[in-house]
Amino acid sequence: MKNTLFLPTTFLLLFAACTSDTREAPQSITYWSANNQYEIDLAKVVVAEWNQQHPDFPVQHQPIPEGQSSEEVILAAVVGKNAPDVYSNMWPGDVQLYARARVLMPLNQFADFDSVMQARNSAETLREARSLDGNTYQIAWKTNPIMMIYNSKMLRQNGFDHPPATYSEFIEQAKVITADLDGDGYTDRYMSLLDIRVTWWQRFFDFYTFYIAASGGKMLMQDGKIIFDNPSAVAVFRFLRFLFEKGYCPLEKAQGRVDAFLSERVATRFTGPWEIKHAEKFKPEGFEYDFAPVPVPDDFAGPRYTYGDIKSIVMFKTRQKSQKVWQFVKFLISQKNDYRLLELTTQLPVRKNILQDSLFQNYFVKNPALAVFAKQAEFIRGTDLSAGLKEIFDAISQEYEASVVYGAKSAEEAVKDAAQRARLILK
Amino acid sequence: MLKQVRRTFLLIKTMKILKIITAKFAKNDRIGYALVMPYIVHFCLFIAFPFGFCFVLLFHKWDIVSEMQWVGAGNFYHIFQDKLFFKAIRNTFTFLLVHIPLQIGIALFLAEMLNQKIKFRGFFRSVYFMPVVVSGVVITILWDQLYAQDTGVINMIFVQLGLPKMPWLTSPYLAMPSIAIMATWKNVGIYVVLFLVGLQNVPKQLYEAADLEGASHWYKFSRITLPMINPTMLMVVILSTINGFNLFIEPYVMTGGGPMNSTLSAVLYIYNQGFYFYHMGYAATLGFCFAAIVFLVVFLQRKLVEQKPLD
Repeated sequence: MKNTLFLPTTFLLLFAACTSDTREAPQSITYWSANNQYEIDLAKVVVAEWNQQHPDFPVQHQPIPEGQSSEEVILAAVVGKNAPDVYSNMWPGDVQLYARARVLMPLNQFADFDSVMQARNSAETLREARSLDGNTYQIAWKTNPIMMIYNSKMLRQNGFDHPPATYSEFIEQAKVITADLDGDGYTDRYMSLLDIRVTWWQRFFDFYTFYIAASGGKMLMQDGKIIFDNPSAVAVFRFLRFLFEKGYCPLEKAQGRVDAFLSERVATRFTGPWEIKHAEKFKPEGFEYDFAPVPVPDDFAGPRYTYGDIKSIVMFKTRQKSQKVWQFVKFLISQKNDYRLLELTTQLPVRKNILQDSLFQNYFVKNPALAVFAKQAEFIRGTDLSAGLKEIFDAISQEYEASVVYGAKSAEEAVKDAAQRARLILK
Repeated sequence: MLKQVRRTFLLIKTMKILKIITAKFAKNDRIGYALVMPYIVHFCLFIAFPFGFCFVLLFHKWDIVSEMQWVGAGNFYHIFQDKLFFKAIRNTFTFLLVHIPLQIGIALFLAEMLNQKIKFRGFFRSVYFMPVVVSGVVITILWDQLYAQDTGVINMIFVQLGLPKMPWLTSPYLAMPSIAIMATWKNVGIYVVLFLVGLQNVPKQLYEAADLEGASHWYKFSRITLPMINPTMLMVVILSTINGFNLFIEPYVMTGGGPMNSTLSAVLYIYNQGFYFYHMGYAATLGFCFAAIVFLVVFLQRKLVEQKPLD
């Protein structure tokens, strides 16, 4: 009898122990940061200072667990009801999904939200972060504006003393730069490199960046409606198609083992400030490079916007006391910690008037390459807040591939079809 | 306190039920059940539950984080309007059309060679099997480099031979055959082993009798070998078909389904729907329909390939 009951009893006791729900709400905040070394170092410094000042409500920092992508890990954590109180690497395109599922804290419910945010961000940035339901679930924390990196020495040696600023200039320089250097009948040097993979997020770094620049800062949607079927999008498709058609860009997937830019196979690329550290580390001797805004149509006038590749801070609805968590979020986005973000990670905080701020000025004097990005950061756009954004970008990517890469469709037709599909997705 | 009392009461009640259940089984039965328990747990967790959950998803719209929404037959209706799914099915069949004959032809040829008395036979048998045990992702990345248009080794050899560089993975016409060639190279080892076993089971006296009649090599191969290894052939065809239908890693890593969706396999499309766009209900429905197609194809293959064995 004893034997008969031993196993079920043990099992049940273990089960009861595991399912016990008598735990108190923890007296600490869990904070997940991105898991690159620079941001881990930053989080450690920030959290150490917070914990020193708030021993009654400490923060436990953890880099986001390894996974195929941080988006997937966060999704798994939310589904498993294991999400952190604060997460600082949220892709804004996913915010709407979680907001709709009511797992995010509306930050505008805090009494001092408006005053804190107005001191930090421009009205434009705050409007962009606001969801369609009128609530704000995210704080735009850091940005990596996409710009054109160019081989200044190569351009100079070929008779160009400035980087191309317009489509015509880009094409004019491409005619000279693109060349078969060894006479074997194959092109050895190209003007630029654009990723030809159809994966939806690749379009952030080509079509979307060029579209934002060409349209003077328009996004795909306005008031929840698709607006990208306009002459700017068509102009971008046409221009990029021309580059592939004339062979100024290789019709080849970028290979990880060779850096086409540093090995001087291409004269330009479209990239973010992370390229600075990489280029400084791996550039060959005598290699010269600089950054410039993305080229725009010839008749364009006005500020040259770009895609900001913004990452946000969000607060998940947990059992934690939200006021305390909000205090930590405010601490995280304070001027001092924004400076640490810049200094330790070389990523730009989304903060207005950063170039005029005396705290940041010295840093930019010492790091002029990053000052170019800081200047560009005044004219950035993020992504629209829509739960169907990935699908919309997928639709654009399908049409981009058909029209720009393979020329199977006209630019007008491709843009029209992409917009039509996007409208269906929103329905 | 009340919660604790209630919990203890529930615990005692459950123990009584378990006691009644366990008393029903004889002692010997209990050992048997204990031994099969790991499999039953595995079956329940990883087969029965996902299958049941998938069935529920067929009739729902679900983005993982929000509540499920009942859509009835909406997911099935949507499939008929989804041109991309049909394209993915067509692509998968294109892959199979190249992959299966190539796989069987090469595997049979190599098995026939390795069945002869040649030097270093053991070494060759191991070498052909090696790609099978290497991770699919590693092989895919390796071939991705080999296929590179400007910097790949294959095109470098082509140029040395005076041939033009080929857009192996960037041409909508070449990409899927290129993937099929790579998949064949990776998997051929396993089918070589299967054919080798089949060939070694063919009675030697049949060949001796044919030799006495002065039969040619081709005659012996077509009239003795092929009919005798028919069960192996059937197994290889079915296995390579099922493996082919599962095409995922190669296009996922190498092409992302491009160019122009020419390498978008059905499994990759289902994955994209489920894990990129979080259309879990629709992805489950696609998976269900795709499983039905696989079942039908394998059933037809079995009918077509299977022959009565020779007396």
